[in-house]
Amino acid sequence: MILIKKHIPLFICFLVGVLTLGSYYVPNVHSENYLEMMNKWENIVAGFAFLLGLMSLFTSHFHKISRRAPGWGYSLFVYAGFLLVVVPAVVSNGQPMAGPAMTSLGWIYRFVFTSLSGTMFAVLAFYIVSTAYRAFRIKSPQAFVLFAAAFIVILGRVPLGQMMWDGLLGWTGYQVTDVIEWLMSVPVVAGRRGIMIGIAIGGIVTALKIIFGIERQYMGKD
Amino acid sequence: MTNNKLTFLFLAAAIAAAGTGTADAAEKKAALPPLTGFTAADMPGDAGGAALLRWNSPGEAAEGAVIEVHASDPAKPGWVKIKEFPAAGNLEKDMDMPFWAWRPVPGRHAVTADTTSSFGRPAAAQELEFKLRLVKGGSSVETEPVKASIGGNWFNASRLNNLVLMLTIIIVFFWTVSHAKRKGLFIRRIAGLDAIDEAIGRATEMGRPIFYSTGIGPMSLVPTIASTSILGEVARKVAQYDTSLKVPHFDPIVMTVCKEVVKQSYLEMERPDSYRDDINFFVSQDQFSYAASVDAMIHREKPAACFFIGHFMAESLLLAEVGATTGAIQIAGTEQESQLPFFFTSCDYTLIGEELYAAGAYLSKEPMLTSTLKVQDFGKAFVMLAVVAGAILIAAGAMFDLDSLSKVVTQLFKAY
Repeated sequence: MILIKKHIPLFICFLVGVLTLGSYYVPNVHSENYLEMMNKWENIVAGFAFLLGLMSLFTSHFHKISRRAPGWGYSLFVYAGFLLVVVPAVVSNGQPMAGPAMTSLGWIYRFVFTSLSGTMFAVLAFYIVSTAYRAFRIKSPQAFVLFAAAFIVILGRVPLGQMMWDGLLGWTGYQVTDVIEWLMSVPVVAGRRGIMIGIAIGGIVTALKIIFGIERQYMGKD
Repeated sequence: MTNNKLTFLFLAAAIAAAGTGTADAAEKKAALPPLTGFTAADMPGDAGGAALLRWNSPGEAAEGAVIEVHASDPAKPGWVKIKEFPAAGNLEKDMDMPFWAWRPVPGRHAVTADTTSSFGRPAAAQELEFKLRLVKGGSSVETEPVKASIGGNWFNASRLNNLVLMLTIIIVFFWTVSHAKRKGLFIRRIAGLDAIDEAIGRATEMGRPIFYSTGIGPMSLVPTIASTSILGEVARKVAQYDTSLKVPHFDPIVMTVCKEVVKQSYLEMERPDSYRDDINFFVSQDQFSYAASVDAMIHREKPAACFFIGHFMAESLLLAEVGATTGAIQIAGTEQESQLPFFFTSCDYTLIGEELYAAGAYLSKEPMLTSTLKVQDFGKAFVMLAVVAGAILIAAGAMFDLDSLSKVVTQLFKAY
């Protein structure tokens, strides 16, 4: 049992990991074919896994409805929404357009799905404002530095801010655009690169831990 | 008679003019220098289908001319033009290859000729003929056809620097792992991970659920794998305190893996009775549908704690801000540096950079896993030294006009 649950999966993980890593250095056509084959397998597995996901979605909402759990009414919309898209998709043969005319699937996609997605994305703007308000509360010297930098960058992007800068700090000889450019290309880039280097090193080490079987949490431990 | 004379004079003038034209054309043709030293060979370090063509500089006489590359399969007669470029460019020293894989000869030109669109890319090496044609105005000169056998290579020498670095990391990795078995390691405190106990304790006291999102990344992404490790540790504590855990998923494969991870954690804590199959559930594979659904659940159920750990994009703020408005204690971590500011401002604790990858080891406290944190430290030390040394050498190269030094340093750290 331990052979099937532990050793074989670890060996497969090691083999696939080493081959994939090696294919970066081996430019041969066999290497390309291997990567293409792995992509195909991933798509096939994802296809079957999607069925599992769909079953999980329906089962969890079915339980909510049958138990009359709080908010069970929302679960009805899952089934209604599913039918609302799948039935027109079957009727339209999966095509959003029939010649120049829009099919029912195309109509739903354009006027329901895209609009709803756009609405969710638009909500982001309001959240950015509330987050910015929270970020700009000056509680420490570091927060003041953040506030000052953000204040210059935000104000300097609009004509009013440029007028204010010219009126108050024009005597320094520096334009507000120069200061913004320096902020964005020196301290911001330095901070970002520091984080990116840390992420890259962490990613490499985690990948090695997985390839060599030291990290096994993802397969349910021993 | 007069007419005949005129006709004769006209014909004589026309013949004379034609003769001058032919002489001019011959002069023009002679003005184009021949392309000498033409060679064709397999392009080193490629997947096949490309040839490396080299020739001597045609000199200033070829100013404004273009060079056409023609190729032919000896089995199928006929030439195909595969490339055209100005004759003055494409010097060997301009080839995008590092110094250890490419020795440019001064005054020589080189170009990579990709033949895949015309001749395909067979698995075995194929023999093709190549010739160059120097064209300027209406005149042209050609080289003699040259045969070359082109095919895929087994090693890309340009990536040798990357391979050496990778092997060094692997050696250091195994050294630290073996070292860890004998000695313990000091690990600095990570506030975001220490707060996990606090978050779960708060949820237990308040009798509210804990939400854990692994983000929208597939299982092939390293941050998603790191997130499943953290989920395992969170699930152990959740099982211990018998708190409610909810893990909404974007990817069905990640959901399947997380089910196993959570189940195992409950079994290890000897609480299989508390495990429910619907702890992990699929929501949607559309980014904003997922965000809308999880937002709605957080808004209705008002969890005591929210974990957003994994690969997040625009939905990061949509999720974290809703969580913040419900008053939940929030812990987040992602490898997307563009999303970190959003998490940083909306969440109580944020795992920044490599902390995300260190979390599994930090929480499990397994010696083998914790030892690998040392590799991350060595990696950072190496990067710091490389940045300082590289900056000094590049500056010295610029100061003392040592182009070759600048080139060597740049190429050593370049990804090909």
